[in-house]
Amino acid sequence: MNRSMKDKIMYGFIGLATAFTVGILLWIIGFVFVNGLKYIDIDFLTSNYDSKTAYVNIPVSNNNTDNKLGITFELKEYEGINYPVIKSIDKSSRVKEAIDKKGNTIKLRKGDIIKKIDSQSTDNLPIVKINDTINNIESDTILVKVTNKGEGIFPMLITTLLTILLSLAVACPIGIFAAIYLTEYAKPGRLVRIIRFATESLAGIPSIIFGLFGMIFFVVYLKLNYSILAGSLTLSIILLPVIIRQTEESLIAIPNSYREGSLGLGATKLQTIRKVVLPNAISGIVVAIILSIGRIVGESAALLLTAGTVARVPQNLFSSGATLTVKAYAVAEEQGDIGMACAIGSVVVILILVLNGLSKVISKKLNRNRA
Amino acid sequence: MDINLNMVDDNKNKLIDKSIDMKIDKRRVVLESVARKMFLLNACIAVISVAAIAFFVFYKGLQPFFSNNAEGTYSLIDFLTGTEWRPNDNISSALYGILYMICGSLMATAGAIMIGVPIGILTAVFISKVAPIRIKKIIKPAVELLAGIPSVIYGVFGLGVIVPKIMQISPQSQGQSLLAVILVLTIMILPTVITISESAIEAVPKAYIEGSYGLGASKIQTIFKVILPAAKSGILAGVVLGIGRAIGETMAVMLVAGNPIAGIPTSIWDPIRPLTTNIAMEMGYAFGLHQEILFSTGVVLFIFIIILNLILNKITAKAGEK
Repeated sequence: MNRSMKDKIMYGFIGLATAFTVGILLWIIGFVFVNGLKYIDIDFLTSNYDSKTAYVNIPVSNNNTDNKLGITFELKEYEGINYPVIKSIDKSSRVKEAIDKKGNTIKLRKGDIIKKIDSQSTDNLPIVKINDTINNIESDTILVKVTNKGEGIFPMLITTLLTILLSLAVACPIGIFAAIYLTEYAKPGRLVRIIRFATESLAGIPSIIFGLFGMIFFVVYLKLNYSILAGSLTLSIILLPVIIRQTEESLIAIPNSYREGSLGLGATKLQTIRKVVLPNAISGIVVAIILSIGRIVGESAALLLTAGTVARVPQNLFSSGATLTVKAYAVAEEQGDIGMACAIGSVVVILILVLNGLSKVISKKLNRNRA
Repeated sequence: MDINLNMVDDNKNKLIDKSIDMKIDKRRVVLESVARKMFLLNACIAVISVAAIAFFVFYKGLQPFFSNNAEGTYSLIDFLTGTEWRPNDNISSALYGILYMICGSLMATAGAIMIGVPIGILTAVFISKVAPIRIKKIIKPAVELLAGIPSVIYGVFGLGVIVPKIMQISPQSQGQSLLAVILVLTIMILPTVITISESAIEAVPKAYIEGSYGLGASKIQTIFKVILPAAKSGILAGVVLGIGRAIGETMAVMLVAGNPIAGIPTSIWDPIRPLTTNIAMEMGYAFGLHQEILFSTGVVLFIFIIILNLILNKITAKAGEK
């Protein structure tokens, strides 16, 4: 075989390998979006995950719609039965004043399922019949059994957001101060070597080990239980290497003449850091924060062992909650619901795409400023 | 007299000024040293964390093997050589053997490395030496994106695409298998291998390449005979990091592994139970000895990672010497 033939074959292998890499990426993203995007709408983003059923009293109103409640229905199948589902709510309707049996106001929304009207079941009734039933009731309020079918990711969005804020609040100061020490104060020596070794080791430890540590230390030993706080504290340790490394890089990039100028004008070291070094490093620090957010959004193994899998809006920092990725795992593993997992996955991928784009734009700006 | 008095006054004023100056100086000095110490303290948190993680995981994980353990003891030999995992509240009838998990973890990692590394290196070659700038600008961010996708999504992809495909061709009825884990891990280590190999390839001195061209070698010959050997230690570092990622991966693997309670895998169609998923699956409800033994599984995993880190240190130190 001659040389050019051999070369061509090798080019072929290189091309194939690259095609595989890019193809897999497209396939994964395509798979997640194709299966997931059809679920995503405002309802998906704003409703609870668990379904909820309640009896509510709705005051009747004077309106021009088909019934006294000012609601229009459409029939939809739910658990094998056709139920009337709220299609739209008229402006004059008084459903906003609906109260349950304990006297709490309950907000009815589009997509809620009406299962009973004044103790009459609505199974497989045509809409005309339902309107008649409502209009035949003489009292001022009508008792209705409503089911909010859930299947939304609002609680997970809130949990993820809380986790992001809390982890960053802990990890950012520590990471940035550590980077300042390493670049501005430390002299090469044993201590610096140990710190660098520790940071590198942290980056290499698998997240399940962080989960084990978080569970034994934060959950059990500090008695935080499975909570957002325990999860966030565990996560902030995972974030340390990312923040330290990225901040250090942007600090090193600041020309020494800046520092010398500031010190020469009589500023102290602390003043120099606060007024000269940090402001100049700000875009690098922002990139560090964005990368950390990406890491938090994607993390799941450590959170599974420290924050739990409850799909409810957390009451406070000590209540447990599932982030988007943890819920996506639980949905895929326990319910085998690939569609739902993909829907949550699409939200996560979109988030990651946005974060990637943001960090690109900011680093580009940073490079332009430097040049 | 008057002048004299004035002078005294002046001196007095100067003294006061100086003392104020000194006060400010003192405050500054204190502030500076406090700040310095605070920065140092924060830098040490990474060290403290690593120490605390190692301490807690080892402390809890080694307990089951000592005879004074309140929850009962389990033989270290049985733990390391057993091929059955049957947790039980009754310690005498419980079996905690992890040999088949170690085998599963190692086989899956080895498989992923065998497929993923050549593909990764060739892709890195394409990005840094073959692709025109415009295509490079598309593929590089694509690889970064691949690195940023959460592992759960790889798992969902594995469960939704790879597992059903395997089910069609497998002689066994189950798609969750060693092969599925290998494929998912292959995809997951690609970005690590690619980015690190790429920077190693970029770091090869221009003189080497020009020398090779000057001797009449073709581009492909230069790549495979000059550039790749010169970038060897960097690429090796990427491979070790890839191994670390593969062996530590939990969530994606948990979805496609099958997680059987016993049996060393004998073919790629067999389901496996990697060390990581063993911990993640049962930790939620385990207590007593069962929980401690899960920590022991973590210790084994930790030891693997420590060994890998030591190897990595050796490789990068060698690369630095050059």
